[in-house]
Amino acid sequence: MSDSPPGPPRTPGSSLGDSLVADWEDRGDELPPSDWGRPRGPRRAATVWLFAILISGMAAANLWLAGGLEHQAFLAWATVFTAISFQALPFLVFGVALSAALTAFVPASFYRRVIPRNPMAAVPVAGLSGAVLPGCECASVPIAGGLIKRGIAPAAALTFLLAAPAINPVVLVATAVAFPGRPEMWAARLLASLGAAVVVGWIWARFGKSDWLRPPRAAHAPGASKAEVFRDSMVHDLIHAGGFLVVGAIAAATLNVAVPRAWVNGVAELPVVGVLVLALLAILLSICSEADAFVAASLNAFSPTAQLAFMVVGPMVDLKLIALQGGTFGWGFVRRFVPLTLAATLLFTFLIGGLLL
Amino acid sequence: MNRMAQGLILVLLGAAALGTTLFSELYLNYVQSAFRPFLIAAGGVLVVLGGAVIATDLRAAARSEEGTGDAAACGHGDGHGAESGPRVAWLLLLPVISVFVVAPPALGAYTAAAQGASSAPDDRVDLSEYRDDPFAEAGDGPVELEMREFVSRAWTDEERTMADRTIELTGFTVPNPEGEGWYLARLEMACCAADAVVNRVLITDEPVPEEDTWWRVRGTWEEPEGDLQQVRDHRFTVEEMEAVQDPPDPYE
Repeated sequence: MSDSPPGPPRTPGSSLGDSLVADWEDRGDELPPSDWGRPRGPRRAATVWLFAILISGMAAANLWLAGGLEHQAFLAWATVFTAISFQALPFLVFGVALSAALTAFVPASFYRRVIPRNPMAAVPVAGLSGAVLPGCECASVPIAGGLIKRGIAPAAALTFLLAAPAINPVVLVATAVAFPGRPEMWAARLLASLGAAVVVGWIWARFGKSDWLRPPRAAHAPGASKAEVFRDSMVHDLIHAGGFLVVGAIAAATLNVAVPRAWVNGVAELPVVGVLVLALLAILLSICSEADAFVAASLNAFSPTAQLAFMVVGPMVDLKLIALQGGTFGWGFVRRFVPLTLAATLLFTFLIGGLLL
Repeated sequence: MNRMAQGLILVLLGAAALGTTLFSELYLNYVQSAFRPFLIAAGGVLVVLGGAVIATDLRAAARSEEGTGDAAACGHGDGHGAESGPRVAWLLLLPVISVFVVAPPALGAYTAAAQGASSAPDDRVDLSEYRDDPFAEAGDGPVELEMREFVSRAWTDEERTMADRTIELTGFTVPNPEGEGWYLARLEMACCAADAVVNRVLITDEPVPEEDTWWRVRGTWEEPEGDLQQVRDHRFTVEEMEAVQDPPDPYE
């Protein structure tokens, strides 16, 4: 594997297709070329070597540090970071597995049968069907794209996109676990998220224009077996969502350790400002909806309504989601959809928070 | 990020989850003990999934090296899977490095000192949670209480059941930067270390032990005068104290 065939150096991160095309253009007249059929050998070997070096490096660093790390603030940060990553991990893995199973084993025609043709009627149905389809934000964007392509009204598919990551059973169970003895938290989350999703869907059904949406591309190659679709969709979701989850854990751990409690508590005690601050934090942290309840619970200096805002805004509007939506549906869509969604989520947070919490 | 890297990252992440639960008790520093089976299951799934990705990638490589597959077949072999992952996915190595290299300890005096005083609960604490009355059970002997139970009783129990009883508490040492004495503290965790809340008692009649050392103290609650809710520090009079090894689960 280590004998690298001659060829131009490839840019890291380019796909197989890119490197094939690049090789093709650089080929001389020699046919068949010497490296025919094994274009990825060197990159694969390099990756294995990279990981071998990484693992040896970790072992060496472990021996070298061995209890010598005394920096209290750093250790506290590392503990909180690891804690957030670890408690989110099971939820992420099982959410992704369930979503992959539904992508692979439930045909899209099934959704077309259940969801009515009239957009106004389809929107609430789509919102409620979000409650039975687990998956985090990253999973729901491609699914919504697939639904639109198969003829579901865009407004209904978008309602589903908003509702599914916010009110599915995995997320609600996680919320109940994060707020033990306070069932009103997950109930409020369910009501506020569903309300916001349905209202956004209705507004889109009434005023939306079809050319605001760029039609999505196919997610899977035709002809792949169900097991392959399952495996690839799971790996895809894990790899795409996992990195952003770590970003969220870094940010949350930094806020947790670095921001003085007195400052946070000072902001937290202001009723409306506290809600807006946590809504902003949810947008910036981009925590996976299957884990955000735990972070919300840890922000216990804030009012329950502010914690609700964190859990209602986060799954529907955050940096990671905006990036995904822009990539899937185009930026003209994001420009209109994101402010609308943010306004609806804040409205419902104040409404439901005022009524229930 | 190619398929091989994605597979290896998933395997390493799974190994981190399995290593901290199956082969050590490190996970107790980060999450509640109830998370153990879920972490084991998630770790297992990650290792198997990553292994499958690596195996598929190697098979595709072997196929194309044998020359049986032409460019088109090779393209199909990883076609739908060959999508490269985003760069941000490399960050998944951070938790792996964190547990295998740094192995961060449980939160302790640093966090307790940074959090400072908690405030009295607004009827949030329900004493019926401790339905077995530990004082009736213990008769006249000393009563062992969790720090959080002691603190919530000290703030909310208007009948003052704890007065004049010998009580045992376990916790770690936190210096008091503002005045006399030191705190015996314990962190209470609902779910993971990110939501840890400090409970503490102020001890003034013993010299300050070394920071972050664990002690079991036996003594009595100094009953405050006036409104329980107005108390900032719960004072504790020590009769005896002995050093303990770090308890297996550092949080309550």
